[in-house]
Order: sequence, then structure tokens, then C-alpha cells
Amino acid sequence: MTDKKPDPRRPDETFEPFEETRRIPWPVYSIAIALAIWGVIMLVQTSTAVEVADKTQKEVAKEDSTKLAQAAAPDLDAGKTLFADNCATCHGDAGEGVAGAFPPLHGSDVVKLGGAKAVTHIVMRGIGGKLNVNGDGYEGQMPAFGSVLSDTEISEIASYVATGLNDDAKTISAPEVADIRKVAGDKDPFDGGAGLAGLINDLPAQPNSEAADQGADSERVARLVGQGTDTVWACASCHGDKGEGIETVPRLAGLPAPYLAKQLHDFQRGTRFNDSMAYVAKGLSDREIGELANYYASMSSPSGAKPALQGDLKRGAQLAKQGDWSIGVPACFTCHGPSGVGVAPNFPGIAAQQPSYVAHQLAMWAGGSRHNSPLGLMAGIGKALNDSDRRAVADYLASLAPMPAMDKTELAAMESNIPVREGVDQ
Amino acid sequence: MNRYLPLAITALAILALATLFLVIAPGMQISAQGPSQGLKPYTEAEARGRAVYVSMGCLYCHSQQPRSLAQAPDAERGWGRASVAGDYAYDDPHQLGTMRTGPDLMDIGDRLPSQAWQLTHLYQPRAIASWSIMPAYPYLFEHKDKAGPDDVVVKLPAQYAPKSGVIVAKQDALDLVTYLQGMKRQYAPPKDGLRDNGYALIAEKQRDATDATTASN
Ligand code: HEC
Ligand code: HEC
Ligand code: HEC
Ligand code: HEC
Repeated sequence: MTDKKPDPRRPDETFEPFEETRRIPWPVYSIAIALAIWGVIMLVQTSTAVEVADKTQKEVAKEDSTKLAQAAAPDLDAGKTLFADNCATCHGDAGEGVAGAFPPLHGSDVVKLGGAKAVTHIVMRGIGGKLNVNGDGYEGQMPAFGSVLSDTEISEIASYVATGLNDDAKTISAPEVADIRKVAGDKDPFDGGAGLAGLINDLPAQPNSEAADQGADSERVARLVGQGTDTVWACASCHGDKGEGIETVPRLAGLPAPYLAKQLHDFQRGTRFNDSMAYVAKGLSDREIGELANYYASMSSPSGAKPALQGDLKRGAQLAKQGDWSIGVPACFTCHGPSGVGVAPNFPGIAAQQPSYVAHQLAMWAGGSRHNSPLGLMAGIGKALNDSDRRAVADYLASLAPMPAMDKTELAAMESNIPVREGVDQ
Repeated sequence: MNRYLPLAITALAILALATLFLVIAPGMQISAQGPSQGLKPYTEAEARGRAVYVSMGCLYCHSQQPRSLAQAPDAERGWGRASVAGDYAYDDPHQLGTMRTGPDLMDIGDRLPSQAWQLTHLYQPRAIASWSIMPAYPYLFEHKDKAGPDDVVVKLPAQYAPKSGVIVAKQDALDLVTYLQGMKRQYAPPKDGLRDNGYALIAEKQRDATDATTASN
């Protein structure tokens, strides 16, 4: 074993590992350089994008100011389209009205005597209760547009109604509308013809108003709404002092009392799910539910909603007014009433409802987690709408004027069927 | 290993480049933003409440950054519009969070504005939602025989109410709720707000849509 022939499988123990000097291959260099250039380009691009946004904002501001400058003379064509969008669903395309339900604007003695100024007041505040127009009696509810239309828009509509639909010569300008808003903007709706009598001189005889007295239980209701009980939180702490709602908390003001009562019973029974509302409803007696429903149904308040979901308002208007038969959706207004103000007792108003709430409810119907609509009417509609349609229609509804309060006499007539109603899909 | 110098230089260069593009450049972009118009600094009570929020680790389960519609249906959930850098101008350190074990809280003051609700929920989340896995924070409250004139009594269902006496909120709980109630952004996002492109694109589409409707009006 003296022969020291090295084993070829063994590494040479004297071997020192070393690195050969080799240049970094050129593809690596070029990739690194390309990446660096790309990074710089991206950086420059995003900063110019910001500048572009800046510029458009400035342009928009400029447009606004030019619009303001023109405001002195209201644009009657704009008024006509605004009329078609906001008023025609009730008063008819040419302001001809609907016999027995919606008074005419074309040739109306109210408009003739009061002119654009009176129309501005009415559009701003809304009107409810008994009213005579051209000798015919009406007793409907008109929404208040003060919270959803700008001064310019109201001046255009009122001027169009006075001079385009009637032959008055006097228009009203946006600054004049702004002055009216200052004094009358947040007043309650006119109480029918009697309320208008103070505004318009020589108005023909109007029916007496029936200022309803507050019920005996109003104190208990006020406590529930304002302070709550030992277990239940105050309604106003979420739904707002004026029942106008916020984000996913719905507007309650002006919804039909039987609908409100049904929802509270559904929360109580568990046929409609929401942890907070189930907690609230379980703490209420049937009697309190009836009283609260009446309280909110007879409440009038300005809109607390504005489009917030970046929905396509045009598409929303189409869904609400015409529906879309290609996806099997009827117009929302066929059930929810003209301009979405609701049809008592079963169809709630959806105008001026909070957009997040509407989109959320539609999504819940689609997913089956809300399933308490009578005959499953809303489930099919919820399923047919996709995400962007839901946002579109919710934003459009948020841009509408709020539903007016329910009349006290209507309420009394409905009271009998409030307590327990079946609330499950068939 | 015989080329320490080039290796070290390259490593440092890469680090410098990353710092430049991920830290310095965005930092410059953000600091140029300033607070969103309409955003108010915290009141004293809110600032104290914020400190409670931080110390209780609410961050570990709740984010404060609603996503843009291109990324998640947060707006439809009622969590509010996507946030922009300016919305956090007064937050140091910000509480963006990454975990969403519970809902995003950026707009909680809009969604659940009720002080009474928040107190019940902090005292015992399961009094409201039996399935909730959020911890209860009973040590932010006090059990008293009788509420004093300035005490805020927590509304509780029979199941969770004490046998006698009442549960009242300590100052920490009241401050925390004041902070939560103030978490709302009822102002429009600045048009040039710093945000991912999904947001900018949608905002642009939206602007086109509203332009179209105003044009047709
Ligand atoms: C939801 C349906 C509805 C919509 C939308 C509506 N109105 Fe009315 N309007 C009514 C009803 C109902 C009355 C009668 C109120 C009453 O009986 O007290 C009325 C009354 C009026 C009157 C006073 C009576 C008359 O005929 O002169 C004027 C003026 C008027 N509306 C203008 C408008 C204008 C302008 C618009 C659009 C901005 C509009 N309305 C939108 C339902 C509506
Ligand atoms: C903690 C906040 C909170 C409080 C307090 C609260 N609500 Fe609600 N309420 C909600 C939310 C959120 C919804 C929406 C539920 C859903 O998404 O289905 C709702 C829904 C409703 C609905 C259904 C409305 C609709 O359009 O379908 C009614 C009715 C209602 N609440 C009445 C009340 C009354 C009455 C009280 C007081 C006794 C009250 N709420 C107190 C948060 C609250
Ligand atoms: C076939 C009739 C019908 C049509 C069409 C219809 N709805 Fe409804 N909708 C109902 C009924 C009925 C309810 C009440 C459900 C209940 O009682 O729980 C309702 C309730 C709702 C509610 C809940 C209101 C609230 O306060 O919680 C929303 C939101 C709504 N509808 C949106 C829409 C939209 C948007 C459209 C159009 C795309 C539409 N609806 C079309 C019948 C209809
Ligand atoms: C272990 C995780 C966890 C921690 C820690 C936690 N939460 Fe929650 N939180 C949840 C979950 C899960 C929900 C949803 C269920 C519920 O409403 O209780 C929730 C819900 C909420 C809600 C209601 C949100 C909504 O939209 O309904 C609020 C407000 C809230 N948490 C605040 C806090 C605060 C403040 C803290 C710190 C003191 C905190 N949470 C700590 C898990 C957590």
C-alpha cells in the first residue's frame, strides 16, 4: 500500500477554488437599463396625470363661472329638458296634468296668477293637502325639489313653466331664486291651497286646511325617536333627526306607514336580517311599531342623499323610467310611483333614498339575504341588475326630490291594517 | 470572492434606487398633497380616542382604507368612497391596517353614527350580533349602583345587563366613540387626489356621464 496513486473520484485537495473574471452578459445590462428608463417614464407619467386632472378642474371651474355669468337670463331650452326630467312624470309632457290626480300646469290659474315666482316657491317647498286648480279639487302630494335642484335649475324650470307652458312674459333669474331660498328654502311643504293663498293674491276660493293635531301618543314616540329606552337606542341616532338616513342607514321620512310597520315586524320575526335593526325591533311592542310607523310616514324632510357611487346617471334614469327589457327589468316607477315617490301601502318611495343603502339592498335581494318582498317582486329585479346597474339606479334615485309625507287622513284610513302582515316570499 | 467593491456598489445602488422610487418620490408626491379640502384636524377628545384605538390594537382587525370600485365593492357595502392620500393628513401614525377581520372603519361615523350603539357594541359585541368574534372591552366601562348626573349609561339587553345597577362608560370609552363618530368624510374627494389609476379612470367616466346628463338637460 505504499503506492500513492490518487483516486480519480476524489477531488484534488490542493485545489483552490477561484472565480474566473467574466463580464456581466449584455442582456443583463440592457434589462437593468430598460427597467430604470421604464421607472422614470412611469414617474413622469403619473405626475403629468395629476397635472391633467388639475387642468380639467380649472376648466370646470371656468365653465361654472361662465354659466354663472349667463344666469341672469334663464335658459328656457334647459328649462324644458329639466321639466321633462323632473316634472313630466306627474304633470304630463305638456303640463296637461292627469284628471283627478295631478293638476295641470298649462293654463293653471295658480301659475297664471302667481307667475314664475309662485312656481319657484312651490318647486322649492313642495305642496300637499287640498288644492283647487281651475275649479277642480286635488288632494295629492308634490315633492320638494329645493334640496335636489340648484338655483339655476329651479329658475330655468320656473321660467319655462310660466312663459313656455303659459303665456306669462316674466321669467325669474337664479339670484332671485337664491333670495327665495334664503327665506323659504327650509320651510315645510305648502299646506294645499290655503297655504298658497298667502303667496298668491286673488287666488280663487281654496278649501280649508286641516292642520292635523298631534296624537296623544306623540310624547312616547318622541322619546323612542330622540332618547331611546334602557335597552333600545334612539332611532334618530342612526336615521337622523329628520329621518333622512345616511350611507347604509335608510331614509324613513315619508315612507308608507304600513310598509314601515311591516319591515319592523319582519326584523322582529327574522324574515329580514340586520343585526342592529333586529335588536331594535325586538325591543318594541306592536303598538310602538304602529306609532313609530305613523310618525315617520307623516314626516317631511329635505333630501339627505346625493349620488355617491359613481354610477352612470343616464343609465339609472333609463332603468327607473323605462326599465330595460333586454334584461327583463320593468321601470322602477311602474311600481314605486311617478318619480319614485312610492305608492301606499305596499310600494315604498325610493326617491332621495341613500344610494349606498339602495345598492346594498339590491345586492342583498340578488344574493337572497333580503327576501321579504311580497310575491318576491324585488328578488327578480335584484338578480337582473349587475353591479354597475345597481350603482347607476341608486345614484339616479339619490338625485331625485324626496317623497312627500303621507297625508294624515290617508294614515287614519290605513291604521286598521297596520299591525301584523305576512312578510315572506310565497 | 474577489470583487467586493463592485458588488458593494451595485448593492448600494439598487438599495438607493429602491429608496428613491418607493420612499422619496412617493413621499414628495404625498407631501405636496396636503389635507383634503373639508378635512378637519382632530378635536382633543377625538385625539384621545384615537390613542385608545391605537393602544387597543383595533388596527389588527380593522382597516381604514376603502378600496376603489375597480378593486372591491366597498362603496356598495356602505364603507365609503376610496380614500386619497389627503384623507390621512392628520394621522400619524396612520391606521391603514391590512387585515379585514371586521369591516373597514374609515367611514364608520357615517354608517353607524349612534353613540349608544357604539357603546353597547364595545361593551359586548355579542349583545348585537351573536356571531361576532370581536373582543368585548368591559374594562372601558364601570359597574355602578346608580348613574351619576354626567354618566352615560350603556343600553343593554336583559341577557347582558347587570343584575342590579347600571353599566356606565369610562372616559376612554367615550373618547374612543367620539373618535369613531368623527370618522366620516362628507366632502368630495379632491379631483387630483393621489390614488391608484382605477380610481382616476372611474372618476373620469363619472365626469363624462354627468357632463352628458347636464348637456342633455
Ligand atoms: C310626484 C308627482 C309630482 C312631481 C314629480 C311634480 N309635481 Fe307638481 N304637483 C303634484 C301634485 C300632486 C300637485 C297638487 C298638490 C296638492 O293637491 O296639494 C302639484 C302641484 C303643482 C303646482 C301648483 C298647482 C298647479 O297646477 O299649478 C305647481 C305649480 C307644480 N306642481 C309645479 C311642478 C313643477 C314645476 C315640477 C317639476 C320641478 C313638479 N310640479 C313636479 C305632483 C307632482
Ligand atoms: C344602530 C343604528 C340604528 C338604529 C338605532 C335604528 N336603526 Fe333602523 N335601520 C338601521 C339600518 C342600518 C337599517 C338598514 C337595514 C338593512 O340593511 O336591511 C335600518 C332599517 C330600518 C327600517 C327599514 C326601512 C326600509 O326602508 O326598509 C325601518 C322601518 C327602521 N330601520 C326603523 C327604525 C326605528 C323605528 C328605529 C327606532 C326605534 C330605528 N330604526 C333605529 C339602523 C338603525
Ligand atoms: C313589480 C313591482 C316592482 C318593481 C318594478 C320594482 N320594485 Fe322595488 N319594491 C317593490 C316592492 C313590493 C317593495 C317592498 C318590499 C318589501 O315590502 O319588503 C320594493 C322595495 C324596494 C326597495 C327597498 C326600499 C326600502 O326602503 O328598503 C328598493 C331599494 C327598491 N325596491 C328598488 C327598486 C328599483 C331600483 C327598481 C327598478 C330597477 C324597482 N325597485 C322596481 C316592487 C317593485
Ligand atoms: C379580533 C378582531 C377584532 C378586533 C381586535 C376588533 N374588532 Fe371590531 N369588529 C370585528 C368583527 C369581526 C366585526 C363584525 C361583527 C360585529 O359587528 O361585531 C367588528 C365590528 C366592529 C364595528 C362595527 C362595524 C360595522 O360596520 O358594523 C366597529 C365600530 C368596531 N368593530 C370597532 C372596533 C374597535 C373600536 C376596536 C378596538 C377597540 C375593535 N373593533 C377591535 C373584529 C375585531
